[in-house]
Amino acid sequence: MANPSFAGRMPALQVAEEKYSAHLGFDPQGIRVHFRGTISTPNPAVVLNPFVDAVHAHVLEAAAKEVRVDLTQLEFCNSSGFKSFIHWIERIQKAPEPKQYRLRFVSTKERKWQRTSLLALSCYGVNIVTMEGTI
Amino acid sequence: MSLLDCFRTGDFPIQLLIRMSPPWVFIDELRRFTESFCACACPGQDREAQVALAVHELMQNAVPQAHGEEVELMLEVSRERDVVAIRVSNRCSDEDYQALRDRIQHMNEEPDALAHYVHMMRENPANTRGGLGLARVRFEAQLEISVRREAGRVIVEACGPLRAPRLPAVGGTHG
Repeated sequence: MANPSFAGRMPALQVAEEKYSAHLGFDPQGIRVHFRGTISTPNPAVVLNPFVDAVHAHVLEAAAKEVRVDLTQLEFCNSSGFKSFIHWIERIQKAPEPKQYRLRFVSTKERKWQRTSLLALSCYGVNIVTMEGTI
Repeated sequence: MSLLDCFRTGDFPIQLLIRMSPPWVFIDELRRFTESFCACACPGQDREAQVALAVHELMQNAVPQAHGEEVELMLEVSRERDVVAIRVSNRCSDEDYQALRDRIQHMNEEPDALAHYVHMMRENPANTRGGLGLARVRFEAQLEISVRREAGRVIVEACGPLRAPRLPAVGGTHG
């Protein structure tokens, strides 16, 4: 869990496009990043990768060991948007080992694509990707 | 299958055909519609989300290649033959067709769909678009992909069983 005092200093990191949004939050369990809507534009990485980079920088600063990635309000994510999660995993893999942290994906069984997508992502981000939820 | 064959076998596949000019904004609606359509056409098969994902990715690939011309989507479901097939066709250049054919051939040479998908995640830079869609359809939607060319159009077909085997469970901690 991140240092609780960090919550008070956490900047308002967010992106909001016409069909989707993402923002960094903080709850009793630690840092939580929420994704909402439908990520289906031709190249969402242009928007999402800088957001992921900024979140990553703040997670490193907070010395958090885990971040919850909340997909429960994400209707769909196309393969181009999926790459932003791959980008995030790669950023973590490139960080010095003591600073590396886990991405705990929170999903919902209402969105069946999340189960298979997270299965694949967990095979790519072994030791980094974990999952919780009812999938 | 001809109509006569249908009468002989008692198999009447359910078909959906949509032809559209390709603004991106329609792809979300198409995904939602095909998910509902598939749920109605094959209730209880739990296949609609995978079909919808495949439709989205295949249409997303086709739209830029079509250069503003129409894209055609055919969805066919047969409970009798235990098959679901998605065909997306659009006009495309010889160069685009050759490149697509090579990519699909290369993909199908790897028998493990998940291994190829993970390989493509490594190979395709995360800051560029494209490169993952076909591998995603093959693994996540559990559909085999082929491509052919007819009368100046490329036809990408994703086909598989209606009663697909369930993928391994997820939810554990890795590492």
